[in-house]
Amino acid sequence: MTNCIEIKGLCKSYPDFSLQNIDLTLPGGTIMGLIGENGAGKTTTIKCILNLIRRDAGEITLLGRDNLREERAAKAGVGVVLDECVFHDALRPRDLERILAPVYPTWDNGLYRDYLDKFRLPGKNLIKTFSRGMKMKLSLAAALAHRPQLLILDEATAGLDPVVRDEILDEFLNFICDEDHAILISSHITSDLEKAADYITYLHQGRVVLSQPKDELLDRYGRVGCSTGDLAAIEPGDLLRVRRGTFGCEGLTSDRDVFQKKYPGLTVDPASLEDIMLLIGKGESLCTD
Amino acid sequence: MYGLIWKDFLVLRKTLRLYVLFLLGYLGMALLGIFDLTFVTTFCVVILMILPISAFSYDEFARWDRYARTLPLSSRQIVGGRYLFVLLLLLVVAAIGAVSAVLLSLTGSADLWESLGAQLASLGAALFIVDVMLPLNYRLGPEKARPFLFAVTFLPFILLFLLAKADILDLSFLDRLRPGQVIAGFILVLLTALAGLAVSFLISCRVTERKEY
Repeated sequence: MTNCIEIKGLCKSYPDFSLQNIDLTLPGGTIMGLIGENGAGKTTTIKCILNLIRRDAGEITLLGRDNLREERAAKAGVGVVLDECVFHDALRPRDLERILAPVYPTWDNGLYRDYLDKFRLPGKNLIKTFSRGMKMKLSLAAALAHRPQLLILDEATAGLDPVVRDEILDEFLNFICDEDHAILISSHITSDLEKAADYITYLHQGRVVLSQPKDELLDRYGRVGCSTGDLAAIEPGDLLRVRRGTFGCEGLTSDRDVFQKKYPGLTVDPASLEDIMLLIGKGESLCTD
Repeated sequence: MYGLIWKDFLVLRKTLRLYVLFLLGYLGMALLGIFDLTFVTTFCVVILMILPISAFSYDEFARWDRYARTLPLSSRQIVGGRYLFVLLLLLVVAAIGAVSAVLLSLTGSADLWESLGAQLASLGAALFIVDVMLPLNYRLGPEKARPFLFAVTFLPFILLFLLAKADILDLSFLDRLRPGQVIAGFILVLLTALAGLAVSFLISCRVTERKEY
């Protein structure tokens, strides 16, 4: 199984934000969810992968090719869906065949029309008459019609209703049935990633704070609910982060079974991706107390 | 790259259709003797100047540029697509202008060579403006570049007028030119503008290579 994306030591600095030493590997046949709060660096990472911005340091390999030296060859195997539909309102879905077929040597008009039918998109209607869901499905159809090996999606499911999101997630699962295919998707909608992703990479303030198989995260991480008094009895190393509220505290453990055995009197629930994001993003280290 | 040229024509097809209708209308009226050929020539110039800038505006509105950079195309090819679109547009309006001049000369309403000369000079001048506006649009975006269109269009004329008024520049030699020299001058204007388009392309490539999306 080859890696579809390999990022080593990626750095990019802006005056008020910097992406620091990002390492990321996306194996073939998998979906990686890139999560993190707004401004954490998800879009910056994707822009660096697609060479939309110049990186300060690091190496990026797409489908085994350097994303700068072999940019065009690397991008030929990538389908991209951005956070909004980029096709002009005055165009019709059928027009995209004329625009994108000469761009991608592997463009398949039959496949594109199959996707239009599958997503119930009228080929002859103006794109300006489409809903946001239809526009995103059109973007996905256009991204898939050249038979890419890798799909990169930046907040592509944001603002869509659950039915459309589910339809799109099903398409992702179909796509990665092929072991050579992979998907990198940045999203705030952690429930979607819990359904579809194999790996989760969590970016916080420009750094990777977590990058693990999703099942491992959901099986092992736990959310501990306790009082301030209980918290005082917990050894600092046993909780990754804690949040103190008016009515109690909650903490995050990276091994809920071990924690439960050590502290049988405390309630430990499985942590969702949202819990992990909230506790790491807004929580504090227990040692700082 | 051909896909991008298609894209510009497809995005602007409604406007193009409207402009062609206007052109046919003006031509019809010129043939009926209501207007002279100047209207057709002026409209050709307007099309050549306005449509490339409209293409930038539509791209910006759709946020197309960022997507275009994700395609397996070099920035040179992306920029090249827009410049080829301009060249095709120039060919189309030049052809329409030439056909109009021939038709009007056949009806005896205008002198063929005079009309063709005026077309050449007008399109050359318009192309000069486009040469300057394209890199500006790449650098500043269509919104910020728009005021420069007026500056680029009118400043040379104002400058020439002021220099002539101050007796720094003597333009009286223009009156002494023979018809053949005038036509040669007009052809030179268009050829220089075309050479300017090549320089403009190189500048635009440099601008886009440095740009972040």
